Order: sequence, then structure tokens, then C-alpha cells
Amino acid sequence: MNIKTRKIVGQVIFLLLAFYLDGLMKWAFLNNMNTGDFMILPQIMLMAIVLLTMRIDDRRQLLTYGIVFGLVYDSYYYGIIGLYTVLLPLIMVGIDHFKFLFVKANIGYELSIYFLALTFLQSGIYVLERLLQQTSTNVFDFITYVLGPTLLWNMVVFFILYIPLANLSDWLVKYRRESK
Amino acid sequence: MQKFFSNKKLIILMVILIVTFGLLAVTVNIRDNKETPPAVQQVGNDVVSIVGGVFAYPTNAVKNASSEFSDLYNTYTENKHLKARIDELAQNQAKLKVVQDENKKLKQELKLNGTLTDYSTINASVLSRSPSSWQSYLTINRGTASGLKKNMPVMSGKGLIGRIIEVDKVSSKVELISTNNELNDKFASEILDDNNNAVTGVVSRYDSSSGKLVMENVNSTKGIKKGQRIITSGLGGRTPRGLYIGKVYGIKKDNYGMTNSVYITPAAELRNFTVVTVIKSSVSGGQ
Repeated sequence: MNIKTRKIVGQVIFLLLAFYLDGLMKWAFLNNMNTGDFMILPQIMLMAIVLLTMRIDDRRQLLTYGIVFGLVYDSYYYGIIGLYTVLLPLIMVGIDHFKFLFVKANIGYELSIYFLALTFLQSGIYVLERLLQQTSTNVFDFITYVLGPTLLWNMVVFFILYIPLANLSDWLVKYRRESK
Repeated sequence: MQKFFSNKKLIILMVILIVTFGLLAVTVNIRDNKETPPAVQQVGNDVVSIVGGVFAYPTNAVKNASSEFSDLYNTYTENKHLKARIDELAQNQAKLKVVQDENKKLKQELKLNGTLTDYSTINASVLSRSPSSWQSYLTINRGTASGLKKNMPVMSGKGLIGRIIEVDKVSSKVELISTNNELNDKFASEILDDNNNAVTGVVSRYDSSSGKLVMENVNSTKGIKKGQRIITSGLGGRTPRGLYIGKVYGIKKDNYGMTNSVYITPAAELRNFTVVTVIKSSVSGGQ
């Protein structure tokens, strides 16, 4: 196995771990079912995806990741295909398109990009589910009880996990410098 | 027209829109109308859930350990309370045994093969909960291979928690009773009161701000008191009779003063369990 394939396997495992962590986090810690109307949705996989997108330059590879993981996410967690499958690749292409603006990725930039991506993703899901009548929540309830707490929680977690995750994704992507 | 087709970005956008809505519409329809999802999706979900088990078991172990730790605090008061009840329990158990035997014999005499109260159970452990706002799903590690079917009711240790909404070969999704999906959260139920006149209704809503289940279409509110128990009535056809839902919390009139709703404190605490029980009804009326 050459180094490129090995790095790609590493990236896929990283994304898979983040994928499972989403469900387990929700199940183990944020399972506030019986009381309270705040809804916190852990989005660790989106973190991994944003960090990797900031570092990978190959747009075709990005699209493949987006579509494959979007499909798995939709099928396993939502039971409806077409939410993450479409929104994730869109987010990734969007980030890829504008990342030339940033000279060097640092925590400030990446935090704000993650914030925008998360807002876009959650609002997109809300709009699509609302159109298909999967939910009857109104916009203000969505912003107060779902979007707000989700953004807050995920921002804090992103801040805490930034250094290890960013170093890991640096290591998982940047192989060209050593090999050349 | 020429110009339109030469604009590549516009076409891509159009294709994305069509694909999105096509996929969504098809999958929602399949979920609502078919017994099982398409084979590809089943295989995918199964593979993901089997691998997910590797992460789920340690998580469940930690969860169990932490809940045991918090149980330790309550042990003394609980023990006192339980001691008071234990004599009563032994007596009731003996009585139950006799009555069950008698019931079995009487059923044989009448040649009744299955009644609404007959069911068998399958245990399954929880793999994850979906990180989504409106699909309150749990993924469990049993599927059609263990005889599960769509729409079977699911209990945790204490009471009813939901219904199966999607079955794959070795995994399935449970929709929790606290969902606000209009199609799937209704259970025909009845209130057990002291003098045997059953009050029936439908548990049809979850009030998320107070954490109570709401039972509507109640035929009369006479004699309903706080603390009375509510069970499934088996009249819906898909759920057997006698599954424990919760206790009466109070009665409220709706905004127009027309109908009464009974608020129920759910028996199942949807936080501290890692194993669920799927109920297989012997009388299948819903087919």
C-alpha cells in the first residue's frame, strides 16, 4: 500500500469514527427525552468534514466523501435519503470554492466556517423536512430550541477539540511535503 | 433556449434540485408504505450497525455503570420503601400464578388460541440514537432475522417507549413515543380504575414542555384520578393489551373547552436503559 492509499484509509476511518460518535454522544449524554424542549444535536462528523475540506485540494475526492458519508448518515440515522446526501457535498464544494481567501487555516477561520456550515446544514434539513411534512415546528421554535442550543454546544466542543482534531487532520492529509 | 443549455452551472443546480426532491419523496413514501426498505439500504444499514456495535457496547457499559452509581445514592430510602411492599408482592405472585393457570385452562376449554393479551417478547440492545431533531429514532440490534416486523411496540424495563418504524435484516429503528410525527405516535389505551369501568382513549401526543404524554378522545372523565394506571387496550390491532404506559397526572380541557385530555406521566424514563424489549403480538389484527 503506498502512502496515498494509506492516508485515504486514515481519512475514511477518521470520518467513520466521527460518524459513530454523533449517534453515541446523542445516546449517552444528550438524551434529554422526557423533559425539556431544547434539542442538542452533536455534529462531530461535520467538524471532521470541515477540517478535512480545509486541507484537501482534490475536489473529486471531496465530493466522493460528501456523497458516500451523506448517504450513510441519511440511511442510518434519518431513514430518509436526500438530506445529508445533498447538503454535505454542497457545503464541501462551497468551502473548497472560497478557501483560497484564507492564507493559513487557524482556529478563528475554521470556527467561523464550521459555524456557517452547521447553520446551513441544520436550516437546510429543517426546510426540507418542513416541505415534506416530517415536522410541524415553526421557524421561531426551530431557531430557539434546535438551532441555538445545537450551535452553542457544537461551538464549545469544536473549541475544545480543535487542537487534537486539527493536528490529526493535518497529519492525515499532508503527505506530499514529506514524500517530495 | 440555446443560452440556457450552455449555462452549465444552471443545469447542475437544476439536476441537484430534482435529485434531492426525487430521493426525498421516494424514501419517505417507502418508509410510510412498505414493510421493509429496499435491499441496498437494508444491507447498508446492517453493515453500519454491526460495525457500530463495536462502539456501542463500551458506551452502554459506561452508561450502565454511571446509572448504577447514581442508584447507589437512593438505595437506603428505596430499600425501606421496598421492604414495606415485599410481603404484598409474594402474596400477589402466588395469586397471579393460580389465576394464570386457571386462565390457561379456561382458554383451552373454550379453544381460544390467542387473545389480545397474548404476546411473546424479544430483547435487543440499543446501538445509538439518531442525532436529528424530528426523527427520534433508536437503532437496535435485532431485525427480521429475529422475527421483528414493522409497527411492533417496544418497551424498556418500565413501560412503553415506542414502535418499530423500519426493519432491516439484523438491525431496526424504533421511533420513540415522544416523537411529533403525526403518523406514528398513536396508541389505543385505557385507564384502569378501581371499579372496573374502563375508560378508553388514544395516547396521541407528547407535550414536550412538560414531558407528559397526552391521551385524547377519552369517552368519559368520570372517576379518573391522579395516579391511576394506563395500559394499552389492544383495540388498535397492532399492539397487544396490557402494556404499561404510565400514570394519570391530570385532566385538562382543550382550548375550546370541547374535549378532555388526560395527561400521563410516562413510566419509561427514556434515559437510563440500554436494553429494550420488542413485543410480538400473537393476535395479528393489523395485517
